[in-house]
Amino acid sequence: MVKAYTQEHVYKHPWERVTSASWRKFADPENKRTLSHILEVDTLNRKLDTRSGKLYTTRALTIHAPGPWFVRKIIGQDICHCIESTVVDAQSKSMQLTTRNVSLQKFIEVEEKIRYDPHPDNPTAWTVCRQQTSIRIKPLSALASMAEKVEQKCAEKFMQNSVKGREVMERICKYLEAESRGIAL
Amino acid sequence: MGLSKRDKKSSSTSTSPCAHFRSAYHNCFNRWYSEKFVKGQWDKEECLSEWQKYRACLSEHLDDKQLSRFLEAEAAFGSIFQGDSENPV
Repeated sequence: MVKAYTQEHVYKHPWERVTSASWRKFADPENKRTLSHILEVDTLNRKLDTRSGKLYTTRALTIHAPGPWFVRKIIGQDICHCIESTVVDAQSKSMQLTTRNVSLQKFIEVEEKIRYDPHPDNPTAWTVCRQQTSIRIKPLSALASMAEKVEQKCAEKFMQNSVKGREVMERICKYLEAESRGIAL
Repeated sequence: MGLSKRDKKSSSTSTSPCAHFRSAYHNCFNRWYSEKFVKGQWDKEECLSEWQKYRACLSEHLDDKQLSRFLEAEAAFGSIFQGDSENPV
């Protein structure tokens, strides 16, 4: 069974700034308190296609995901490793991030896709972010019997974390805006 | 990238031994991304020396098992990257 959730958010900042903020989201030390579930982010690979203007990046995310006690009891760990693949097309102005868990895969598969595109109503000043999360409990795993409950808890956690993520993104955008004004002066 | 309990305790500072190289790379990358890449200057890859130092540190310190698992997952993920292998930078 698969559960999918979609969210949309409009940033009143240009695409260039929002995607810059996205790169800084996990890296800036002051955000670590807000996004305390992110323990480590490391870049594993990067590639720039110098002809098309596409940038490919793979990062490893270590996430603290304790989950409800009944899940912890079965899984026996509260750390999850994820791989995040990002493609930024500077020419067409699109950024796509896909994150999947690599650990705990025999229990659960979570895939999160985020896209940042210029907003069709105001493409030079606004950016639309579309986020889709799908959660799949493996049918024969020890979690299967309580799949619905786990999925619900998992989804709640994702919603909470994506609200925090948006707050951080808005804060970095503001900071970058101020910085660019400073340079412009 | 230790997964030990001490990582969880220190939420504000990373205990990763590569943190120094990582932030040097991030600083360089973020500048390049905002000031050049998104503005159409993507003909040249930058931050190469920062990247090499960071990468070397990672491969030394990432737990072997962890690294191989990540790399396997990355290979499985490879479909995203296909079709652009003609011009590795």
